[in-house]
Amino acid sequence: MNYRRLLAVARTESIHNLRDVRSLFVIVVLPVVLLLLYGYGINYDLRNVPFAVQDLERTELSRSLIQHLVSSGYFQLRQVIHDQRQIAESLDRAAVVFVLVIPPDMGRRLGAGRPAKVQVLVDGADTTRASVAVGYIEGALLAFSGKLGAEYLARQGLSAAGGLDVRPVVLYNADLKSVRFIVPGLMAILLTLLSGLLTSTCIVREREWGSFETLVTSPALPPEILIGKILPYVVIAFADTLLSIGAGALIFGVVPVGSRLLLLFTSFLYLLASLAIGIFFSTIMRTQRLAILTTTLVTLVPTIQLSGFAFPIRSQPLVLQVISNFIPATHYLIIIRSLYLKGADLLVLWPRVLALLVFTVVLVTVAARRFRKQL
Amino acid sequence: MDLAVEVENLTKRFGDFVAVNEVSFSVAEGEVFGFLGPNGSGKSTTIRILCGLLSPSSGHARVAGLDVWRDAERIRQRIGYMPQFFSLYDDLTVAENIEFYAGLYQVPPALALARQSELAEVLELGPVLDRLARTLSTGWRQRLALATSILHRPPLLFLDEPTSGVDPLTRRLFWEVIGDLAHEGITVFVTTHVMDEAEHCTRLAMMHYGRLIAEGTPEEMRTEHVQTMVEVQAHPIWPVLQALEKAPEVVEVALFGDAVHAELRCDLNDAEARVERKLQTAGVAYERVVAVTPSMEDVFVSLARRWERPTAAGADR
Ligand SMILES: Nc1ncnc2c1ncn2[C@@H]1O[C@H](COP(=O)(O)OP(=O)(O)O)[C@@H](O)[C@H]1O
Ligand SMILES: [Mg+2]
Repeated sequence: MNYRRLLAVARTESIHNLRDVRSLFVIVVLPVVLLLLYGYGINYDLRNVPFAVQDLERTELSRSLIQHLVSSGYFQLRQVIHDQRQIAESLDRAAVVFVLVIPPDMGRRLGAGRPAKVQVLVDGADTTRASVAVGYIEGALLAFSGKLGAEYLARQGLSAAGGLDVRPVVLYNADLKSVRFIVPGLMAILLTLLSGLLTSTCIVREREWGSFETLVTSPALPPEILIGKILPYVVIAFADTLLSIGAGALIFGVVPVGSRLLLLFTSFLYLLASLAIGIFFSTIMRTQRLAILTTTLVTLVPTIQLSGFAFPIRSQPLVLQVISNFIPATHYLIIIRSLYLKGADLLVLWPRVLALLVFTVVLVTVAARRFRKQL
Repeated sequence: MDLAVEVENLTKRFGDFVAVNEVSFSVAEGEVFGFLGPNGSGKSTTIRILCGLLSPSSGHARVAGLDVWRDAERIRQRIGYMPQFFSLYDDLTVAENIEFYAGLYQVPPALALARQSELAEVLELGPVLDRLARTLSTGWRQRLALATSILHRPPLLFLDEPTSGVDPLTRRLFWEVIGDLAHEGITVFVTTHVMDEAEHCTRLAMMHYGRLIAEGTPEEMRTEHVQTMVEVQAHPIWPVLQALEKAPEVVEVALFGDAVHAELRCDLNDAEARVERKLQTAGVAYERVVAVTPSMEDVFVSLARRWERPTAAGADR
């Protein structure tokens, strides 16, 4: 291995990227787009969710419930409904995200120590928004009934021993922040997209340009060429990883609960694996278009489809669940979600980290073996 | 004298198509070896095999005593290669391309800079050093390609049609540079489809449809392969061509510019008289008949025709 030759290749590859509009787009614009997606995620995070209320009880208690929701800052009362028919109409117009129906006997039932049924009608068309909204309302209502219960018990001069049982409804996302879930998912998508798009063209492009011919006749050895070509992308992809971790923390306050070192290490492994897949297709495909297309099909589509970013893995057919185990993104996503949400450590995550490590080693080896200095 | 290149029964097939067919030749150190042949005759394929870019289908090829396929990596530092088609980076400047090469061939940076200015001087690249290769015309791109191929001072240089598509001045400059390189002791293996460039070479090989059809010095090529050549000038020219084609003593006739070149079987002394008599008998008008030294193009046409018609060629010999 000769570093002079390796660096010559790396330097030239960097210049290609700096002078190529498409590469610059992927390197610079893509992360920005990602930040906008974060912003979109923040909207899901729901501030001032518009809602309507049909208060059938009209007591001090029901008014304090409404007040509780509004003062939380998450909800905004848009409409007070008097007629049953207004409910559907209001939801259809998308004027409100949900309608809260307070039953006429809420206070009576609570006073008697029995559960009260508060109805929440949600517009289910926008599933993401709806599910987040439901989570919020549940949380808010639980908090309210908790407070209420404590007050009631206090008034009765009793201890809290036999008090209300408030169970958390939203697991691992206790403060109901959906960004916590979205940030790691987008990180995986970003790494996959970036690594694949950039490297999938870097060899096949040389064939199209004809410059592969001079590269092959040069004394540079295959590993020197391969590493020299990947090196700029490792730096770029890692910088973008740090950028998205930083943006998640600084702008949206989402920081990993678990080990940061493990987060960086696994992200690095994953980007190597993705780069290797891109390079692999770059060595076997004959046109840039084909290389980009194949790489995207093989990496990005499954990353979105199977890895549980859009759909939870457990809700998928068994075959797909099995297949998803053979996609590096699945393991990476599970690792970083665990690190961001649960604060899991290597003791729990080691099978996933191991799987990722194996993938990376295998993919890099395959790519290196497939790479030949031949026309 | 040591051999820089040895080729024995070299064959290259692409599927059923035979691009290089049982070719054997050798190049001694210090030669300017001209590899001639029309487009598609297998020159580039041969050169690519010699540079370790393609594997031979059968036969052997050695460069500096090393097998070109098995020992490919050991040969690379010792050869320079200028491909037929520009294969540097369009999005790099001339200087950046040169720097890239210096890196690939491990020319120390200080030495690389010295050579860059030396080459910029010789090939007049100075004013374009900071221009992107994309913005250069063919002649300048070829100059850059030549500069990068000799940057590391290889003892053996392969040039694949270096002068194709360049203007006459650049063409002359290239042959001057090639002459200078040879003077320094560098072996040059150069292909061209412009037959008259062969005069600049010390030895030649001619390719036709993948076969080597002749080999020798330019002088040998002219004297051994073509016996007697006369040039006929006439207006119109076609009747002359037709009349001579039928004549038994004529081996080959071909258009050469606006005249006809005819190769004859007889002695040089009475060739002109014979042709004149022939034309008079046939009643064809002509202006002048003169004996000429055959050009390399004549040689090629003559050889090529013989190979195209194997039976006629057999009868001729
Ligand atoms: N990779 C290839 N696959 C198939 N045919 C090829 C390939 N390379 C060259 N050929 C064919 O081989 C013949 C010789 O090509 P080449 O060596 O480039 O000729 P030259 O350099 O003398 O013009 C041509 O007919 C060309 O089409
Ligand atoms: Mg050619």
